[in-house]
Amino acid sequence: MTPDPLNRLVAQLSKLPGIGEKTAQRLAFHILRAPDDYATELVAALQEVKSKVRLCTRCFSLTEGQLCGFCTDPRRDDRVLCVVEGIADLMALEKTREFKGRYHVLHGVLSPLEGIGPEQLRIQELLVRLEDGKVEEVIVATNPDVEGEATALYLMRLLKPMGIRVTRLAQGLPMGGDLEFADQATLARALSGRREL
Amino acid sequence: MLLEQLQIADFRNLHAVNVRPSPHATVVVGANGQGKTSLLEAVYFLCTLRPLRANRLSELVRFGTEQATVAGRFTLGGAEREISVQVAAGLRQAFVDGKKAAKLEDYFGGVSVVAFTPDDLAVVKGGPEVRRAFLDRAVFNRFPAYLREHRAYQRALKSRNRLLKEHAPASYVEAYDEAVARTGARVLVRRRELLDELGPRAVSAVRAISQLPDVGVGYTALHLGAHHPQTEEGLEQALLHALVERLDRDRDRGFTSVGPHADDLQLTLGGRSARAYASQGQGRALVLGWKIAEIENVRAAFGRPPLLLLDDVSSELDPERNAFLMHTVAESRAQVLLTTTDASLVARAAGPDTLWLRVEAGEISEDARLRPARTA
Repeated sequence: MTPDPLNRLVAQLSKLPGIGEKTAQRLAFHILRAPDDYATELVAALQEVKSKVRLCTRCFSLTEGQLCGFCTDPRRDDRVLCVVEGIADLMALEKTREFKGRYHVLHGVLSPLEGIGPEQLRIQELLVRLEDGKVEEVIVATNPDVEGEATALYLMRLLKPMGIRVTRLAQGLPMGGDLEFADQATLARALSGRREL
Repeated sequence: MLLEQLQIADFRNLHAVNVRPSPHATVVVGANGQGKTSLLEAVYFLCTLRPLRANRLSELVRFGTEQATVAGRFTLGGAEREISVQVAAGLRQAFVDGKKAAKLEDYFGGVSVVAFTPDDLAVVKGGPEVRRAFLDRAVFNRFPAYLREHRAYQRALKSRNRLLKEHAPASYVEAYDEAVARTGARVLVRRRELLDELGPRAVSAVRAISQLPDVGVGYTALHLGAHHPQTEEGLEQALLHALVERLDRDRDRGFTSVGPHADDLQLTLGGRSARAYASQGQGRALVLGWKIAEIENVRAAFGRPPLLLLDDVSSELDPERNAFLMHTVAESRAQVLLTTTDASLVARAAGPDTLWLRVEAGEISEDARLRPARTA
């Protein structure tokens, strides 16, 4: 029989996404064998992330204070706003270092089948943000699946009448990717949206 | 494409099967209820990940067991690959060469199958939903991307129906109107592409097997009007227009009344609806012609014939038409699995390399004695 504290740790770890029973056990043994400092620091990091990290009151990405770094950075362009589904999408876009505007995180997409309507998302907050008229273009960067598309269309219908330019990320083949690795739906769409050279 | 080896465990009433199908005909002989159709269903499920007959995944697992497995070793374009599918707890998991298939496209690379069952023979006289499923199977065989596109449409449609039932605000429903229109236009374009290819082939195949008056193969897009546009963009606009126009009606009923889910495959004889006017024999000739056209079409598109699954069709066809079908099968050089209660009915599709299998109470065994005398 393994000691209860170890069992409890394994049980907690295996609740993490992508972590199965076996991996949880390996992680638990790793923690057990590591120097005492490690466990202490891990505990502190876990507690801190819960107590200190919260949503930015403007764009709803993550921050330690009231406003996040993206909202307070004076070098960013106030005229362009990129709307994303979640923080992971924001991070992916940010990694490109291409986008210099501001963000707005919806925290989900409209999904009638999962009971998520406009009021469950940060859409009202987005509209309030746009009231001052500074933003000229909203880039809707929701995923190209059914729900992401519907959410984009919903936003477009709300924002167009406000005189804001609404754009959608282009779809097609991944750069540097081989044709043979593209899935068929992407390939089919890229083919039907081909351009003259 | 060649199915070299087939292994089945606890699928339907089959306990454990391990056979090496012939590169041409494999004939499965058995009385009704012994497991002939289960064998064909297993192969169909392996090749499409969808049950051949409308039933729940859990029904595919043999009674009293937890998990069904179908595995096939294929030669595809000169390379050997093993694909397999497991069903457990109502979920399916596909594997390619022992690894979980992350994307369905990995799985389907190169596998195509055309199935022909007695249920198909009822398509002409059945309801529109039967014909839509029949048509969609053909589209899927020809365009593998259709599986995902069709699912996207189903999801958009279900979402809109949910919003209608919940009396969601118009702005929310409108967003899904567009989603339904966009994904629906894709489905319509695919169906039309398939019909453009298949229609003429089906018409000439029917002509070859019968003296039926002018056969017509068409498509009725409900509520889009007779002169709706043909481009994908035009179809999307037409669908959107119809959805908006019918919104009040749809709200009252709680479901969407326009879109590919409401359309019908139109089969006509001498300009009249085959559903209303065809005799049973004429209807069967139509379906037979369609299936032969499907085989030819897949061959024309991919440069090789599909794997054919013929489930006890011969006993349902008159001798002349059965002879034509068996002749076509033998001519096509396709790999084929046939089931029958009477080996002599399929003798013309058999050759010296035919594998003869007997099925009894879910157990399958090789039995060369099944070979009818005149093909020996």
